[in-house]
Amino acid sequence: MAYRKRQYALLADEELISLVGEGDAEAFALLYDRHSRAAYSLAYRMMGEKQAAEDLLQDALLKVWRGAGSYRAERGSARTWILSIVHNRGIDQLRTLASRRRTQDRVEASAPRSQPSDAFSEAWRNSQRDQVREALGTLPPEQLKILELAYFSGYTHVEISELLGVPLGTVKGRMRLGLKKIKDYFDSEGVAVPR
Amino acid sequence: MNHERFDELKDAYVLGALPEEERRELEEYLAQHPERQAEVDELGAFAGLLALSPQEHEPSPELRQSIMSVVESEARSFAGSDPRFAGLRELFSLQNLALAGAALLVIGLFSWNILLQGEIRDLQGRVANLQETPQSRMVALEGTGDAPQQGHAEVMILDDDRAVLMAEDMPRAPEGRTYQIWVIEGDVPKPGGLFEPRGESVAAVVEKPLDEGDVIAVTIEPAGGSQQPTTDPLMTAKL
Repeated sequence: MAYRKRQYALLADEELISLVGEGDAEAFALLYDRHSRAAYSLAYRMMGEKQAAEDLLQDALLKVWRGAGSYRAERGSARTWILSIVHNRGIDQLRTLASRRRTQDRVEASAPRSQPSDAFSEAWRNSQRDQVREALGTLPPEQLKILELAYFSGYTHVEISELLGVPLGTVKGRMRLGLKKIKDYFDSEGVAVPR
Repeated sequence: MNHERFDELKDAYVLGALPEEERRELEEYLAQHPERQAEVDELGAFAGLLALSPQEHEPSPELRQSIMSVVESEARSFAGSDPRFAGLRELFSLQNLALAGAALLVIGLFSWNILLQGEIRDLQGRVANLQETPQSRMVALEGTGDAPQQGHAEVMILDDDRAVLMAEDMPRAPEGRTYQIWVIEGDVPKPGGLFEPRGESVAAVVEKPLDEGDVIAVTIEPAGGSQQPTTDPLMTAKL
């Protein structure tokens, strides 16, 4: 068993996912250890509290376990795929909840912002996160806010338009410019996009 | 949806900010214009960077324990589900171990790899025998919509009501979506497994035993699958 564990530790995420697709719990455990922290951090950011974040993570990771056969390496890294499942499940859950957190967002959204959100003022643990932070730091606050409301809080573009009291076309424009600015950052720095 | 509308909505799509109706509209467009999938994938990669931005939190050890207890329990039932598929699973598992074996070659475990190759050949023979088993029968799935059917699929039913779905030339599922098999008993659809076309053909074990009169259906579902179908079937077959 210990010998196999050492073998598995040599495998790339994509190879582990392939094993998970064949029902290998040990391979799943290793994937969990590699990515649960990032996945939980995203879940926590979306749900805003521990219990809901843990419920979301459990729901999403069991989908990873049961749906590993649907992973396609050519469409992105295993980490990106796992985080996208957490994100999609989180959005589903947020949209079925009339939660207090959304009300809180509504209040926050009405206040003018001149600084990036708290999430981006924390210490960053590694260089990839530093790069992402720096890229997001290049966004004007009004663009960043719209990306956050969409991505983390699960609002649709129409809801964001109502929430912020700006035309729908403006919301779409800010989304487009915000994403373009992130792309431009990585293009101009010649830095590989974290996968 | 036309090209202009697609361009207008694609940013909200990758951020997950489209209402359900517009999301489906955009995914239908993508299914008809697969040449634009790469554009959405690239944009999605930049949107996905937001997932790396939150302050880090550590999940509790109890959560790991809870998830792993479900996983290990399901893995045990998966392993015990059908002894004949154990050969298939073992084959795939050994192929992956062969990848690790390649790494071990570097440090000199050459003979272990040779042994694996022998086992793989043996298991490949067993898989071929399984495919030729006289008790199996094939049932073709038929498209359900007015649009021309893309690709085709058949179900190979083995002698103890287990089945394997084999699909050919099917288009990739849109980003964040997957093909899901359903076994419909009476009017009740039950999840029968997920699959993703890779290259020209794909095979997936139907995860539920089949009975005469059941209907097999395939839908497109959100990545990870659904407990109930959320879209109309692309193709079906009555057994």
